[in-house]
Amino acid sequence: MDSILIAMILALLIPIYEAWQDNDIWQKVLAFASIATKTSIMMLVISVLRDDWSIGVVAVIILSVGEAGLMLLAHLIKGLNEI
Amino acid sequence: MIDILSYGLIVVGIIFWFWGTFPLVGNRSVLFKLHSLSVADTLGSMTIVIGLLLKIPNEWPLLLLAIITLAIWNTVLGYVLAYCSSSGKNIRSSHSTDEVGWVEE
Repeated sequence: MDSILIAMILALLIPIYEAWQDNDIWQKVLAFASIATKTSIMMLVISVLRDDWSIGVVAVIILSVGEAGLMLLAHLIKGLNEI
Repeated sequence: MIDILSYGLIVVGIIFWFWGTFPLVGNRSVLFKLHSLSVADTLGSMTIVIGLLLKIPNEWPLLLLAIITLAIWNTVLGYVLAYCSSSGKNIRSSHSTDEVGWVEE
């Protein structure tokens, strides 16, 4: 099970690298959306591994509210670009 | 048997993650990256969660909620990002062509 977590962290490093090296704002937002999804799935895996209900609840809240926040952010950036 | 199946599903999900995330590093357009990333994140994450569900079934309400949230929010987020980024791009590119045309005239 440890190797699964290590593989997930390796997959998480790719969008982190992309968000760091790319200057285009949409590519950054895309990379951050990917980071949010991957991190919350990793939290779910850890919560199931430890049989800890409360970590899983936080992961599901991040999944729903975090993505809604990213949508709001995308609309804000679009509005700023139009000005 | 169920253990093997759940580990297999989790490994397939991680393969999906890698397969969809690698195009993110290249120099393709935002829409190409968005397509591969939304497919990989949604399908891979749902496969991983289903694998977890098979492994420990007594947390099924939470995991089912996670699957539903993934299916709905990831598709909506993909749509919103595509809409915002493409219209923003068009405005900027039309501005730049206008400026170039004006300079050339």
